[in-house]
Amino acid sequence: MSTRARAAGWVSSQGHYAGSVSRLLAFLIDVVVSFSLAALGLAVTSLVAQVVTGHSISWDRTDIAVAIIFAAWEFFYFGYSWAASGRTFGMAVLGVRVVCADGNGLDPWRGVVRALAFPLSFLFFGLGFLGILVQREHRALHDLIAGTAVTYAWDARAARIRFLAREAEAGAGSKHDG
Amino acid sequence: MPNPAESLAQRVAERVVDLLVRAININELVLRVDLNALLQQVDLDKALGKVNMDALLARVDVNELIDRVDVNALLDRVNVNALLDRADVNALLDRVNVDALLDRADVNALLDRANVDALLDRASVDDVVRRVDVDAVLDRVDVNGLVGRIDMDLLVEQTDLGAVIARSSGGAASEALDAARSQAVGLDQFIDCWVGRVLRRKHPLPLAPPVLLAPREES
Repeated sequence: MSTRARAAGWVSSQGHYAGSVSRLLAFLIDVVVSFSLAALGLAVTSLVAQVVTGHSISWDRTDIAVAIIFAAWEFFYFGYSWAASGRTFGMAVLGVRVVCADGNGLDPWRGVVRALAFPLSFLFFGLGFLGILVQREHRALHDLIAGTAVTYAWDARAARIRFLAREAEAGAGSKHDG
Repeated sequence: MPNPAESLAQRVAERVVDLLVRAININELVLRVDLNALLQQVDLDKALGKVNMDALLARVDVNELIDRVDVNALLDRVNVNALLDRADVNALLDRVNVDALLDRADVNALLDRANVDALLDRASVDDVVRRVDVDAVLDRVDVNGLVGRIDMDLLVEQTDLGAVIARSSGGAASEALDAARSQAVGLDQFIDCWVGRVLRRKHPLPLAPPVLLAPREES
């Protein structure tokens, strides 16, 4: 398939159910970002505590308090992102978003429910995520519970024009050089 | 028994009148009559009142009379402009059934005879355009439909628009983002294809949620 035909395919896939690769990449980005922010938060907290009290705080991964703080942070990171805009940072990068199962915009409460149900998909070696591959609408367990779906939502039309423009300019440049 | 003298006088008088009439030239006498003066003394209205006009007109062959009239010469003597000045053209037009008139007219033949170029030369197109309500015209135009018919590929390739877009939005970040997204979409479709084969799906999967699919189908 030519690059031009592929570019046309981007536009035609707008609004379609997002596939496994896009969602996995988005999730990986979110994990990196949320972990980094969590580590940064803990480091800042430790620094402030040291400045204020003169005692440094050592964060132990096995500490239940750290685990609770981390879980709450992750819930906030995903839950707030989905409730507020239907997408996390990683989803924005990959151009996918969460919508209601019928395609309408996501209600905030569904975003919260999705964040609460999200850990369930990790149970049994991530069996809940298998739905993204085999379910007819690419819906994971937490999607089915919250009544949501994930679709492509990036501006593929603009991307295609940029692609064609770059191609046209490259063609003009090579002709000029020739 | 008549008087013999009276009888003789009667015969003499008849003989004299007869001789007198023979001696007079009637034509010359008629020519010496002032007919105009004579007619002025005649009460024509009274005379015409005694004439049975219907009977008179019944005996007249009007068609033959009209055939003998030189209509062109008659019209040459008519001052048409003065006539039109006196005519109430609006009232006249009110009485005309224009639709019926147009039904009977061969408009194509009329247009064939019209010199449209000469007509347009005489028309002030600028004035006509100035009187056009452009907003009303644009309200009736489906601009979105019009834009949708533009071939963006050709537009970007064959104009400087492509270079403008490339320079204005050709940042490395956007290029990388476009590449990452498009590659991810390609891999999604590739995996979907293989999963469909493994699961031996016979029916196509729904592409999108109903609400997002509907506008695409309409367009």
